[in-house]
Amino acid sequence: MPQHTNRFTSRRGLLFGTAAVGAGALLAGCTSNDSGDDEPAANDQPAASDSPGKPVTIGFAGPQADHGWLNAINDNAKNRAKKYSDVTLEITEGSNDTAQQIGQIETLINKKVDVLVVLPADGKALTQVGLRAMRAGIPVVNLDRIFNTPQAYRCWIGGDNYGMGLNAGHYIGQKLKGKSNAKVIELAGLDNLELTKQRTKGFDDALKNYPNVRKVARQAAEFTVESGQAKMAQLLQAQSSFDALWNHDDDQGVGALRAIDQAGREDFLMVGGAGALSAFQAIKQDNGVLKATVLYPPTMAASAIDLARALGQSKGIGGLAEFEIPASLTLYSAVVDKTNVDQYMSTGFK
Amino acid sequence: MAPEPPLLSMSGITKSFPGVRALDGVDLDVQAGEVHCLLGQNGAGKSTLIKVLAGAHQPDTGRLRWRGEEVALRSPIAAMRLGIATIYQELDLVEHLSVAENVHLGHEPTTAGFVVRGKAARQSTAALLRRLGHPEIDPARLVGELPAAQQQIVSMARALSHDVRLIVMDEPSAALDPDEVDNLFRIVGDLTAEGVAVVYISHRLEEIRRIGDRVTVLKDGRAVAVGLPAKSTPTREVVALMTGRNVEYVFPERPTAPAQGEEPLLEVQGLTRQGEFEPLDLVIHPGEIVGLAGLVGSGRSEILETVYGARKPTAGHVSVNGRPLKPGSVRAAVRAGIGLAPEERKAQALLMLESVTRNVSVSSMSRFSRAGWIDRRAELGAARAATRELSLRPDNPSVPIRTLSGGNQQKAVLARWLLRGCRVLLLDEPTRGVDVGARAELYAVVRRLADEGLAVLLVSSEVPEVLGLADRVLVLREGRVVHRAPARELDEHRVLDLVMEGSPAT
Amino acid sequence: MTQHVSPPRGSADKVPSVSESSAWRGMFARADVRTLSLLGVLAVLVLIGGITKPDEFLDTRNLQLVLTQASVIGVVTVGMTFVITSGGIDLSVGAIVALASVWATTVATQEYGFAGILFTAVIVGVGCGLVNGLLIAYGAMVPFIATLAMLASARGLALQITDGSTQVVTVNSVLDLGERDAYVLGIPPLVLVFAVVTIIGWLVLNRTTFGRRTVAVGGNAEAARLAGIDVRRQRLYLYLLSGLCCGIAAFLLIILSGSGQNTNGNLYELDAIAAAIIGGTLLSGGRGTITGSVLGVLIFTTITNIFALNNLQSDVQQIAKGAIIVAAVLVQRRTASTT
Repeated sequence: MPQHTNRFTSRRGLLFGTAAVGAGALLAGCTSNDSGDDEPAANDQPAASDSPGKPVTIGFAGPQADHGWLNAINDNAKNRAKKYSDVTLEITEGSNDTAQQIGQIETLINKKVDVLVVLPADGKALTQVGLRAMRAGIPVVNLDRIFNTPQAYRCWIGGDNYGMGLNAGHYIGQKLKGKSNAKVIELAGLDNLELTKQRTKGFDDALKNYPNVRKVARQAAEFTVESGQAKMAQLLQAQSSFDALWNHDDDQGVGALRAIDQAGREDFLMVGGAGALSAFQAIKQDNGVLKATVLYPPTMAASAIDLARALGQSKGIGGLAEFEIPASLTLYSAVVDKTNVDQYMSTGFK
Repeated sequence: MAPEPPLLSMSGITKSFPGVRALDGVDLDVQAGEVHCLLGQNGAGKSTLIKVLAGAHQPDTGRLRWRGEEVALRSPIAAMRLGIATIYQELDLVEHLSVAENVHLGHEPTTAGFVVRGKAARQSTAALLRRLGHPEIDPARLVGELPAAQQQIVSMARALSHDVRLIVMDEPSAALDPDEVDNLFRIVGDLTAEGVAVVYISHRLEEIRRIGDRVTVLKDGRAVAVGLPAKSTPTREVVALMTGRNVEYVFPERPTAPAQGEEPLLEVQGLTRQGEFEPLDLVIHPGEIVGLAGLVGSGRSEILETVYGARKPTAGHVSVNGRPLKPGSVRAAVRAGIGLAPEERKAQALLMLESVTRNVSVSSMSRFSRAGWIDRRAELGAARAATRELSLRPDNPSVPIRTLSGGNQQKAVLARWLLRGCRVLLLDEPTRGVDVGARAELYAVVRRLADEGLAVLLVSSEVPEVLGLADRVLVLREGRVVHRAPARELDEHRVLDLVMEGSPAT
Repeated sequence: MTQHVSPPRGSADKVPSVSESSAWRGMFARADVRTLSLLGVLAVLVLIGGITKPDEFLDTRNLQLVLTQASVIGVVTVGMTFVITSGGIDLSVGAIVALASVWATTVATQEYGFAGILFTAVIVGVGCGLVNGLLIAYGAMVPFIATLAMLASARGLALQITDGSTQVVTVNSVLDLGERDAYVLGIPPLVLVFAVVTIIGWLVLNRTTFGRRTVAVGGNAEAARLAGIDVRRQRLYLYLLSGLCCGIAAFLLIILSGSGQNTNGNLYELDAIAAAIIGGTLLSGGRGTITGSVLGVLIFTTITNIFALNNLQSDVQQIAKGAIIVAAVLVQRRTASTT
């Protein structure tokens, strides 16, 4: 039923209104994140072949870039494509909705792009559309999250989750060599993801090689700063002393480091995961617990563009004897520590 | 009478709700093949009794026998299994399902236990509808698209889709026109001829004479008469049993000198709401009670709510003490000193989870607060004073309002406006849901408030109430005032004639 | 037919007579039973924690940890309790926390230092609450839909601002409040804010006209309107209040995590609703308890703490959380109905 609305005619109302407008104007200026030193990642690696060839149109479809790593994937792809005068990149709006991503890829197929690069929101769910593209004669480079069947891609390139855990475990094992009864804890990522299980499995397998090292606790965070802080705080309370920590993800590591700082603990060694810029910087400064991080490199998107271009121009990869591009490429999860951090600094993502 | 036990017999059934004893030792027996009528005023316990019969309420004490064997109806399903079906007044159909789906809801014909055989359901529904004399209803149509009378038939078909021995019908004729009532009675006759028993609830005595065999009268949760012959018991006797007294209402005396000459307190000029009521002029002086008499749909509640600002008028205005109010604003009306005791007390006036105090103080919170901070002691004191002034029972404003009887809940609403210092009181059906005994007291309270200088506008569908309590009466018909007169110059027959008559000219 | 006699004054209706003192005790006892049953649940949890991990659990540092972790969602829950009591729902709280936390930690905002971050977090929260309130009160939108829309837009805007990256706070005066030995009046600052918000919330709900109007609107909006309450303005204020609480919570989260991220506040809406409901606030409105809500939050945080200390994994934690929601509500209903 209609009832009169309270009009802003009172003095209080005017004051409030003015304050609101003022606050709005001030706030609008506060959304900027431009710090002036925004350098695109993966700029200084050598490109596959710099001599321009046949023009290639590459379609790129990825999930919504809602955290640092995925954002870096997009940037890497875009920047890499820009480097080639013979490459045109058709990039779709990222989406986490399977149906929407299928639609986007079908649009790219209809546009008759030469090669497709797809980082599916869900590998299994997007297998069919991968198959469709291949049948339409468009080679697909499947990025990271793998399709159900090799028929759905010409080439797969991605990270090695098991290898990440393995290398983190070996790094820690080596560092704790000679220390009897060494204790290790693990701060895992989102537990309902397959990749988290693989990382943990690799980590556990590596630690088996070091009988003096024992994993005493594991908690799963959610790849977010907030959850990293909360879970790490609990782990620190639960374990009054331990020698090493492996954190699956540098994003949640920001929170974990905050919790470590808040608890005033520095009597252990921490290894991160993924390869965020903030982690590289901390490793370089070497004044905290974070000594190394295991890569899950977003530069794979740049490599995927290289592969797509090579496929489009019917070339192989330089340095290999093969005429053809390999069917799959698993990237090495390198350990970045103080000794080699400068080399990787430019690939760090925010 | 055959030595065979009655189909159903209930004895000593009691059922209490917080603050109310709804059933207080009720006995009832029903024979196969008879139409047993249940009579009683609002609140006498009829609905509670049929809910016990339907298995929807569990009685606190008492026994139920079905064909001589003691049974317990623990759920509506248990009642249905025995063969008891209930057709409620407010129809319990699912509007978005088809007729056939509604009829078979809960016992759909299936293949392999879960695949609904839609065609079989439609066929058996069509057969039931034919039996009920309504073959024109399409079993595939959505129930929501049917008129009310046909929905009633669907509800009945649903009852008959079970193997039914006893059907309870709660005021089935309320929504029907005369032709449909005839059809209903034919169906009832067919059913009883097949040996099915019918428990029939109605307010219309003439219907009970037409189809009833026996009558049980409920009053205040007790059966005051069990199994009277329906055709031969005199109406006078039945009414006396229902009301428990021969004189129906007791009203306070009117002041000897009616308030005149003073400035009017409430003035209504040309107030209109398109499609609801025509331009209305009305003046009430302090100390006066003015009554609006009319049937449901005559626009009386709409007028009250428009005066109160709860509905926005299309034209005209309302003034209190000579000052016009902002139209369509409840807050303006309340600020000017108007208070409303609405028709649906529970839905429109009361905060059922709260204490009496908070219900009384809700419109005057600023009086007990500084900077929004409530002085609870002052609030309690004021609420106590206001409820005492109206003799509200129990004399403890801290009890939850839901434990109060209807009459005392109504007093709490009046206390709210008393505390607010209101000058104009709008009463919409003030005695609905109030015991006959408590009514007299409520009438006295209203008269006393008027004597203290309030202007009262009263709406009631009970003509004697308007005539007995008001000083002046406006008779409404289809949104128009058809007659104005001092209450003394009118009697019930005259008002009823005016209300029902085709034209106001006669 | 009608007859006029002098009014019979003061004749009593039939109503079970309840003496004043016993009614008082009755109402007190009812409220108390509910709170007591929650305290009972909490006591059982403390017992379990104390038995399984005596050294780590029964430790002042751990108490501090639990209370600190509870403070962010706790402040959100206080606002949510008001909204639910009024018969509404606010699904956007988590998204508002995310948006406020990222807006307050952009490079541009951080240039204004402590005050800039605090001001931005609070104003963004209140601004989102204002939009919610206007849509619901004056746009006649259903709270579920209006706040669902806000959830989507606020999360989207937060993502747009951050571009998915984590915004690390470099303002030391903010970071210092989250440090190990930061105390204000002998209490960790986050816990202090939580306590103050709780106390103010309790007072406002139970002792002010604002609280009364909230309860009245939730109990029966039509009755409240006809009693002269400005129901729409009240609704507007309630969503503003919820937004304000989100803004404060976002500031606490910035202190706690030292950063702003668009994934912050994930599923806060469900946690806050669950805490309020097991606390005894009616989802249908008309009854709300700040004490219960805060106890609900503490129960959830304590469970998480005990599980982490015992190194139980997330799957077990989630199962147990669900079971405890059901158990707490059942215990409450049982105890409430026997009085």
